Amino acid sequence: MDALNYFAMSWLSPELLALTALGTFLGIYVGAIPGLSVTMAVSILISFTFSWDVNNALCLMVGVYMGGVYGGSRTAILLNIPGAPSAIATALDGYPLAKKGLAGEAIGLSTVMSVVGGFIGILVLALAAPSIADFAITFQPRDYMMLGILGIMLVGSLSGSSLAKGIFAGAFGLLIGTVGLDPMTADERFTFGIIELWDGINPVAVMIGLFGISEALHQLQHMDKAVIKQKISRIIPRLSDVKKYLPLSVRTSFIGVIVGALPGTGGDIAALMAYDHAKRSTKEPDVEFGKGAKEGLIAPESANNAAVGGAYIPMLTLGIPGDAVTAVFIGALFIHGLNPGPLLMVEQPHMFWFTVGNLTLANIFILIFGLTGIKLFSKIVECPKGILIPLIFLLSIVGAYAINNAITDIWWMLAFGVFGYFMRLYGFPVGPVILGVILSSLTDENWRRAILTERGSVIDLFVHLFTSPLSIVLFMTIVLILFTKTPLWSKVVKPKLFPNDA
Amino acid sequence: MSSHEPTPKTRKPGERVFCLLLVIGSVYLFWQAYQIAGFSELSSAGAFPMATAATMILAACFIFVNTLKRPANQNAHFFTHCFPPIVAIIMALILVYAVVLESLGFILSSFVFLFTTIQFLYRRRVLTTLAISLFALIMVYIVFRLIFQVVLPEGIIPERDIIASITALWR
Repeated sequence: MDALNYFAMSWLSPELLALTALGTFLGIYVGAIPGLSVTMAVSILISFTFSWDVNNALCLMVGVYMGGVYGGSRTAILLNIPGAPSAIATALDGYPLAKKGLAGEAIGLSTVMSVVGGFIGILVLALAAPSIADFAITFQPRDYMMLGILGIMLVGSLSGSSLAKGIFAGAFGLLIGTVGLDPMTADERFTFGIIELWDGINPVAVMIGLFGISEALHQLQHMDKAVIKQKISRIIPRLSDVKKYLPLSVRTSFIGVIVGALPGTGGDIAALMAYDHAKRSTKEPDVEFGKGAKEGLIAPESANNAAVGGAYIPMLTLGIPGDAVTAVFIGALFIHGLNPGPLLMVEQPHMFWFTVGNLTLANIFILIFGLTGIKLFSKIVECPKGILIPLIFLLSIVGAYAINNAITDIWWMLAFGVFGYFMRLYGFPVGPVILGVILSSLTDENWRRAILTERGSVIDLFVHLFTSPLSIVLFMTIVLILFTKTPLWSKVVKPKLFPNDA
Repeated sequence: MSSHEPTPKTRKPGERVFCLLLVIGSVYLFWQAYQIAGFSELSSAGAFPMATAATMILAACFIFVNTLKRPANQNAHFFTHCFPPIVAIIMALILVYAVVLESLGFILSSFVFLFTTIQFLYRRRVLTTLAISLFALIMVYIVFRLIFQVVLPEGIIPERDIIASITALWR
């Protein structure tokens, strides 16, 4: 009964309801406007909302997250520019549909299927998370340490073409997270004798720098992209279409939840996998894939919204973020004094049910806003970059200042912004940096706990690792990821295992 | 995840230097990590930072060597393709904005910043830019200062007094 109470909390309070609606509305635009990303928006929002009541802040940010994942599809369909990476697959068939004059129908269908996907994701979250949290309580410190490393490695290996660059970025993030006084021994770490550094580098400043400033700087190079306008007719999809494609939508939603729940993989990979599944499973499409097949639009849209619910599972039960956006979210929870992890579910179950209820609510708002206001939408999305980019800079700087009212945070934010610009330029992924910063203390503390329980012996740690099935699986996964990137794998093992791929 | 470009087959201008800097930086950070507690214990405060710095050195060296192997892209130049003047100018403007933000205050410095950057990037008539930046600033001020109650640097405009006198008029 309590659970239901907390579930309905954001539905019954007018303030929370309004904030969720506002968040979802903003999120759709943030996701849709190329140049604004959900990660960017949530990073900046953390700094502005940290003095708020935690429920209000979460409502706004959950809305932005849900709305943003959906909103990316809009511009993918209308302009062939995915507003968010998770909408890359949507553009493959969405844009050809729009070119045929079916933009309205494509938007309507993608809205309904996004919402279906969203609900399935939330349902799985609500059913699976409590039991995963129970299981997670039995995790050893070494398991947590390995989960942290695994998360960073997965993001590193999947988000860029080079694993080495991903590992560098992740390790760099872990190192940034250790700056300041050590919480266990109060030793100074990387403080260079500067007292301001005792508290460490503020993760929010790092986030705004890497996702706000560096992204906007990068876009300065692509200022003059022409915008093509599309005619939009009916948006409300035909019931027969919804019925016809519902099974596919449900199947790809489950792909989305599972991919989203894996640490390190998010909506972008879920969407691409779902697109691939649709392509393989649809034997006789009405229209060829890539030329405006509705299956190719529905599959990624269901999957990437389902992945949101999935991504919340490791975040709330283990404290391990699935991707950059959830890493930023964990940062937000920390700032509000909540500690995501198995104990959150035990000590503060209301937070869990509140979040589930809130996600559901945001999903309903997507349906409402998704099927209305299309005229206003096409006006706002055409906002020229020459105005948009200065505003991103302005909000980034004000946001960094607002965290602590300190100019120091602005300097950090700018430093990471410039460094992030060059990282992006030379093909380094920036997501793992944020993941590293967030996971740093978890990995560090659990490493030290693990090695202390073995009285400082690495050999004992290694031997005991093989007494627990979970530890074995985690360890083998890490080894496997590293191994698949070595020349031995690509030259000797892979051709034998998958002779058809080569 | 946010967008980033895939690693090209050729090397971009400046890539070698950047990767070399990463190697040097990583070595320096490793040395700093060593200073924390040395090789005393595996559970010391310095053990984890040393492990991460060592990983950074390994990865950076690997990336650096790979970069050296790739041929340079003959058609690209650092100051046209990688660090064009537009980026440098905007970076400089942001820097100036950050420096004067506290002394001039949010309203004045932000207005000047918005006006200059929009004029520079959007290139319309001065009056249009003026209107756009004023409108944007007012919106930001209302949303963040008045609704979100974010504390922003006041600087030389006595904002609080003005707001107080306006609210006093209301009553």
